[in-house]
Amino acid sequence: MKIFMAAFFASVLLCPGCSSKWTTHTACKNDKLELLYQSCDPLQDLGFSMDHCNNPISKNLKIRFGVILRHDIQELFLDINLFSMGKSILSYSYPVCEVDFPKFSFCGKKKGEKIYYAGDINNQAFPIGKVS
Amino acid sequence: MVPWMVMALIMATTFFSCPDPGSCHSCLEVFPSIEYQCMDQNFSKVPMDIPASTQKLDLSFNPLRSLAPRSFSRITELRILDLSRCDIQKIEDDTYEGLHNLSTLILTGNPIQSLGIRAFYGLPKLQKLVVVETNLMSLEDFPIGHIITLQELHLGHNSISSLQLPSYFASFSSMKHLDLHLNQIKNISDGDLEPVKLNPNLTLDLSENPIQYIHPGAFKGIHLSGLKLRSSFHNSTIMEACIKGMTGLKVGKLVLGNYKNDIQMTSFESSILDGLCEVDIGEFRMVQPSQFPSDGNGVFKCLVNVSVLFLVNTDIDQLTNLPIFPKLFSLSLTDCNFDIMPDLPSISLPSLKELKVTHHKDLTTLSDLALPNLQILDLSKNSLNVLSCCSDKTFNTPNLKYLNLSYNAHISLSKNFMGLENLESLDLQHTILKDHDKYPAFYSLINLRYLDISYTNTHVKFKNIFTGMSNLKHLKMAGSSFQDNILHDIFKNLTKLVSLNISYCQLERVSQETMSPLHQLQVLDLSHNKLQTFDPFICMPLLNLQVLNCSSNSITALNGENLQELSRTLISIDLSDNPFDCVCDHQIFFQWVKEHTHLLNRSKPMTCQTPSHMKDISVQLFDDSTCHMKKTVIAVSLLGIIVILLVLALVYKFYFHLMLLAGCKNIGGGESIYDAFVIYSSQDEDWVRKELVKNLEEGVPSFQLCLHYRDFIPGVAIAANIIQEGFHKSRKVIVVISEHFIQSRWCKFEYEIAQTWQFLSSQAGIIFIILQKVEKSLLRQQMELYRLLNRNTYLEWEDTNLGRHVFWRRLRKALLDGRTKNPKGAAEEEFSQPVSPT
Repeated sequence: MKIFMAAFFASVLLCPGCSSKWTTHTACKNDKLELLYQSCDPLQDLGFSMDHCNNPISKNLKIRFGVILRHDIQELFLDINLFSMGKSILSYSYPVCEVDFPKFSFCGKKKGEKIYYAGDINNQAFPIGKVS
Repeated sequence: MVPWMVMALIMATTFFSCPDPGSCHSCLEVFPSIEYQCMDQNFSKVPMDIPASTQKLDLSFNPLRSLAPRSFSRITELRILDLSRCDIQKIEDDTYEGLHNLSTLILTGNPIQSLGIRAFYGLPKLQKLVVVETNLMSLEDFPIGHIITLQELHLGHNSISSLQLPSYFASFSSMKHLDLHLNQIKNISDGDLEPVKLNPNLTLDLSENPIQYIHPGAFKGIHLSGLKLRSSFHNSTIMEACIKGMTGLKVGKLVLGNYKNDIQMTSFESSILDGLCEVDIGEFRMVQPSQFPSDGNGVFKCLVNVSVLFLVNTDIDQLTNLPIFPKLFSLSLTDCNFDIMPDLPSISLPSLKELKVTHHKDLTTLSDLALPNLQILDLSKNSLNVLSCCSDKTFNTPNLKYLNLSYNAHISLSKNFMGLENLESLDLQHTILKDHDKYPAFYSLINLRYLDISYTNTHVKFKNIFTGMSNLKHLKMAGSSFQDNILHDIFKNLTKLVSLNISYCQLERVSQETMSPLHQLQVLDLSHNKLQTFDPFICMPLLNLQVLNCSSNSITALNGENLQELSRTLISIDLSDNPFDCVCDHQIFFQWVKEHTHLLNRSKPMTCQTPSHMKDISVQLFDDSTCHMKKTVIAVSLLGIIVILLVLALVYKFYFHLMLLAGCKNIGGGESIYDAFVIYSSQDEDWVRKELVKNLEEGVPSFQLCLHYRDFIPGVAIAANIIQEGFHKSRKVIVVISEHFIQSRWCKFEYEIAQTWQFLSSQAGIIFIILQKVEKSLLRQQMELYRLLNRNTYLEWEDTNLGRHVFWRRLRKALLDGRTKNPKGAAEEEFSQPVSPT
């Protein structure tokens, strides 16, 4: 499980192969696990943190997320590709914002606007927990 | 006066330092002279080198802080100005003065503290003003009353606490969109919306306001185009009360519900929408409500008069007890919890023309649909498994024109759409299809205009797969596969086809006859295949082709000879991502590419793959002058060889002329008058006259022969003549040997004298010509001659073309040899061994 986790976060958050001007941020940290991330977008950095690092893919996760948009959000997709030992073990795509179908209040926000979210992220929207 | 001079000085400095406008400013030139992107460049002032013709200027994320009056007056053509997050705290009077053409002004994210009363003056064409997140507290003192051209006013994410619209809103007759989302509006009171009462085109967005109370009658007599109230009510009690307060409203489109990341109401009673009985609604959208009741009659009883109904993200898993919706023509059920198709009786939905049941990940089974007026059916993005599709038994919808079954699980097309002949559009993409490639599955669809079977696991091995669809205009079959990866003539009946997408099909070859029926085709996409060559000749039947995409194949070059087939009607061709072989063999193609840059995809350049020194270099940089160079080198060397050969031939032919020219001309043999004295039998006189004399005296160089019949002085003894005229005055002696010669006494006499004379003077050479073969026995009689001929080179007369040629050449050469300054040496050369009389 630990190897799996390490692989997951290394691939998702460390963004291998991406050279970016943004610094690497810490999403959470305890004595067993440290989660780091870096933005790959040339214009956009983002702030993200999790309240605890014990089980980052538990069903209910308290997160904080803040960003000042450098792009308009017309469409937004979440893509997660998870590799272990060079093989794809998870490929997940979730349409966060669709043009006719804004599920979240930040969909449709424009450049310069601020998004701040603090609260639960439940597995209905991001069924990451189902992976394990 | 002083500021003007400073201004002029700055202008002049700018002018002199920037001779070429557009090349030197620090902004990104999106479109020269028209659009500049200066985002996050740390400008504290408006950059001076932006051309006056600029129409779109993005200055967002620069610390401008405050703007002086007439800051932009120089850029008179400006239409869109983005000043997001510029830390602007104060906007002075007349800041935007002079922007006569400005239609959009974006001030998002500026902490505006003070606004001059004339802050937005001088904007006669402003249509859209975005003041999101600008610390705005109230609309009352917001100085925009004079902008009567305003169509969109975005006031979201501010601290406005009252919806009481100032009276100047009455003058915004063109206003279409008033966005007040995420403000602090708690109460909507009577008269708040009075100024927009007469504007039926207005859409009002009040989402994410903590609305507590709507005064009954606040919306009375108000006619809106749209009203959005998402995540505006904290609980169902407030929502029910507020909706009751909306009595008397007439609205084109009403949106209620929540956002996924926002307030989630705990319960949703059937009665919650009861207040809508008193509201005139055209289109109703309910997005993301919690615990939506499935009792249709209860929840929809006040919505029966809507014409469009959207239920998005509701947690209902069935719809029962639906009331009659006499006017409903469009029903959309998106991302709900249905695992079987909801029962939609035609009696409840007599006017339904459009039905969309999409985004249900648990919806696997299709139940019978009987909606006689249905024209549009969208069942995409579910998980449908259909065992036998499709006919009028599957969908009892005889008027169906549009059917979308894309992004589902498995569909077996075992019925060939019998009873659905009115279909005009059929979308099956990304659904695994079965049985459709074994028989003409689409045979009945004679009215079909659009067919998408992209990524449906289609393997085409049956040639008549598309038979029947004689009116098809658009065919998409990306991600299909073909037998042997060759595209054969499967489009035989599709003579009206306008666009065709066969990308991602692993195609290796397109057979010649494939395109022949497609005279109407305008768009052809062959990208992401494995084509190694593409002969433009294939496109010859495509008389109307405008867009051709052959990108991401394995094409090394197009056949240069048939390229003109392409250029006739094309307006766009994409050949990017191909491994072009940039060698001179393909220079016609690369030349064509250079001449047709305007047709090519500009975002993705065509690059060379081989040879290695050209790798990843644009094919436009292929230098065909090197090819010309190579050609020139080959041509020049060929020409050189030809010239040399010609010269050699000429030298050979005119060898003797050249010898003369080289200086031998005037060198006679000293006292010699004749070049040669000819000894011959009178029997051979005929040959001597016709051949010897003619060739030597009339040819080049001309030799003077001494002939007894002509040159001997009459009255002098023959012997004396022989010696005086013959030997003394001649350099050489030609002996014509024949049988007659052997038999002739005079000849023998002459020959012996010649030998003696030669021996005495060591001067002249004797040239033997064997005119005819002499028998050995006869020759032996002349022992001396016999020995001489055995030891020396002699000339033999041969009456053939080549023989004569060689003979005369050799003879001339022999005769010429004596014509040097040192005749002795020459004689020596001719006869390498001087003959010694024995």
